[in-house]
Amino acid sequence: MTADCLRPGTAGDRVDGELPPQVAEPDSPQAFADALKQASAGRMSTVIRGGGTKLTWGRPPAAVDLVVSTSRLNRLIAHRHGDLTVTVQAGMTLRELNVALSGERQWLPIDSAFDEATIGGIVATNDSGPSRHRNGTPRDLVIGITLALTDGRLVKAGGTVVKNVAGYDLGKLVSGSHGTLAGIVDVTFKLVPIPQSSATLVAIYDDAAAIARDVAALDASQIEAAAFDIRADRERTYQLYLRIATSPAARDAQIAAARTLVSGDATVLTDVAERAAWAAQLETMLHGDATVRFSWLPSRLPQVLALLEELRRAGNVGVTFTGRVLGAGVARLTGETTALAAAVGRLRSSADIGNVVLLRGSQDLKERVEVWGPERTSDRVVRAVKNRLDPAGILNAGRGPI
Amino acid sequence: MAQCTIAVVTDQFVQRLRSICGDAAVLREPVQLLTYECDALPHLREKPAVVVLPASTSEVQQVVQLCSADGVPFVARGHGTGLSGGALPVPGGVVISLARLNRVLDIDIPNKRVTVEPGVTNLEITRQVAPFGYYYAPDPSSQQVCSIGGNVAENSGGAHCLKYGFTVHHVLEAEAVMPDGEIVRIGSSLPDAPGPDLLGVLIGSEGTLAIVTKVVVRILRRPETVQTLLAAYNSTSDAGAAVSEIIGAGIVPAAVEMMDALAIRAAEAAVHPNFPPADTVLIVELDGPAAEVRELFATVEAICRRTGSTVVEVAQNDEQRMRIWRGRKAAFAAMGRVSPNYYVQDGVVPRTKLPEVLGRIRALSERSGLGIGNVFHAGDGNLHPLICYDERIPGQSALAEEVAGEILQYCVEAGGSITGEHGVGADKKDYMPRMFSADDLDVMQQLRDAVDPQRLCNPGKVLPTPRLCGEVPGPYREHPVEKAGLAERF
Repeated sequence: MTADCLRPGTAGDRVDGELPPQVAEPDSPQAFADALKQASAGRMSTVIRGGGTKLTWGRPPAAVDLVVSTSRLNRLIAHRHGDLTVTVQAGMTLRELNVALSGERQWLPIDSAFDEATIGGIVATNDSGPSRHRNGTPRDLVIGITLALTDGRLVKAGGTVVKNVAGYDLGKLVSGSHGTLAGIVDVTFKLVPIPQSSATLVAIYDDAAAIARDVAALDASQIEAAAFDIRADRERTYQLYLRIATSPAARDAQIAAARTLVSGDATVLTDVAERAAWAAQLETMLHGDATVRFSWLPSRLPQVLALLEELRRAGNVGVTFTGRVLGAGVARLTGETTALAAAVGRLRSSADIGNVVLLRGSQDLKERVEVWGPERTSDRVVRAVKNRLDPAGILNAGRGPI
Repeated sequence: MAQCTIAVVTDQFVQRLRSICGDAAVLREPVQLLTYECDALPHLREKPAVVVLPASTSEVQQVVQLCSADGVPFVARGHGTGLSGGALPVPGGVVISLARLNRVLDIDIPNKRVTVEPGVTNLEITRQVAPFGYYYAPDPSSQQVCSIGGNVAENSGGAHCLKYGFTVHHVLEAEAVMPDGEIVRIGSSLPDAPGPDLLGVLIGSEGTLAIVTKVVVRILRRPETVQTLLAAYNSTSDAGAAVSEIIGAGIVPAAVEMMDALAIRAAEAAVHPNFPPADTVLIVELDGPAAEVRELFATVEAICRRTGSTVVEVAQNDEQRMRIWRGRKAAFAAMGRVSPNYYVQDGVVPRTKLPEVLGRIRALSERSGLGIGNVFHAGDGNLHPLICYDERIPGQSALAEEVAGEILQYCVEAGGSITGEHGVGADKKDYMPRMFSADDLDVMQQLRDAVDPQRLCNPGKVLPTPRLCGEVPGPYREHPVEKAGLAERF
């Protein structure tokens, strides 16, 4: 690590409360790998940071010796618009990237609740929003990657073409790894065209069974939604959001078709109002005393909504819930630590819900609740991979999912 | 360091296989083993010591445990339709055929999930869910016979992957027997399993990391409308210009396929799709909600005419649509009608580089004197040059192989890949250093060693094989055994 890349940590560099003594800001991919190599040699507990928007996710750190920031690795390397692909350095924010891509009427179809979220952080956490309904999560869009290893090497996998089965897909491996395996240097994605037009049908219900029925009917229909969400933020108030994004005539035809399948009170949003509605869906990730992510089988939606009602009524917990109808959602919880811990426990004990992760919460809460959930049978395999890639165990030590 | 594996299948070993799977499920007779010597890449052949056909996850586990304990390498095999020698046996090793694990275990229409065993064919999933209006999206040309286990191993795509993605986008969870015999569940039938995406690594690992014994796939609603057109062109570059314009207009077709004159002639001879006379035909298919398809299809048709198409035929019904696809899907096998032998290559270039690379392939064909037909997925730049040769003419087989290798070089130089869907397998592992550095390959080997430290699970595939055990792939480095003067290269 050259001296000009290193500085002392300041209050703004805290990782979930812990102040790192040093922050490295490498200005080249090789400097990034060098920083990891030195950290590994010195057995320094290291956190890789992009925009720093999710540093409170994961288990509380025992100690953080070093933060490696990707802030200076923030270039757009190549936008091959004719091929619908882009290669971008990890430190560029999603927002900046999508502004740059919009000149060719293309975008990277990922939405994040966090304005400052970087490409590296989004891939490392497999962060996603409502657009996953049509386009999947970041792991579905990554076609190539460059990684910085803890032994100081830079390696790549995949490539710049959308179809490619040569070699192991290391881009998938680091998706969801939360910075525990390697540093992400740059990523190549496939892109999609920005739709010509868009509209969102919103329907409001006071009956969980009714919204679940309509969701199932729409989901089984031949309407092709760009995004399809639900929301439950107050007692017995449920909302459905169905976004159609295509040519204007096709949009109108599909919105009309959707209306016939909806029993709740329906309105159609466009432009500013439409954007605001979807921004609110993402915002559940922010604020509150705790953020819990979980998933379910689509047919269990009535049970999921009933359970959230139960938490509200019996548990002294405030619940704002937003979810994708494909079965993935986030609950923003407010309340006392004991009540929150009980709520997470209740979610975990439900047969209708799985993959419950406490993304964010107080130190106290994280000590009472296993953040990542129970051990999975494949964890042993993942740990064996981690031992090879990070033999000193420095990367996001003790905080990440492995 | 990885342990050296020298396979020794003893009679006692075979006896134990029999006690696990039953006598009838263990094949040892040379004539029985013949079928298993190769997959659909018949020029690579090896004799396995024994073939075993387990009938359950537990039997697969016991077989793998036995191999692991005795240090015997094993190769999993689906229905043997692979085109890169991924199921090529290890000489003296075990082939584990998953053909008897062929049950559809669960069909869950409300949740759009189907759970199958690996020996179920790709098309069988669609057959099972079609009555409910659903289908399984990945559609490799071999879909009538290829197995889902093989699809998982190869991350199979198909003509429609431009819009719908590959196997990796459609598999939610797998049960797998790891190389040490442990059974694990990888991924989750629910979204957002925490942690690194091991499932995404497993899919496309060509049977080198585990043997999959159950697969949960997602199924899709059949689109409301499908519209297909065939446009004839006087040149490949005009057809290429049409593809660029279609993509540039923000349209993502379900499929965009191209065939050149030689491929058209072969298809005509074999299945008589009655294509118009042309240098190049372009097939474009759109699917989705009726209103959307109607509107976009009109745009596509206009683009085809504007870019110089001499004939645009729009399929008016399913029968006409199937006829177009019959011509396309038969193109590989049809080459047999115009050439005694042919070699199917699989490479990828960025779509915008197609005209340039096709030009180089044409020049190569003229230079080498070998006819090269081109059938390709134009939407995603996946080329399938069909190199015609006659093995009776001395030297032509070797020349064909050389030409095939040269084409891969063009793909790499254009920023593409040495394989888009057929896999690396045994066939292309030596091309891997053209795409990846020694360090890139080394980290892949490390990943493999983490999962399979004994190097028993489909060894000799995907990564360039170290010639001496313990040697890392990549450029020549002196092996410790050589350094010590204990061995030399041959």
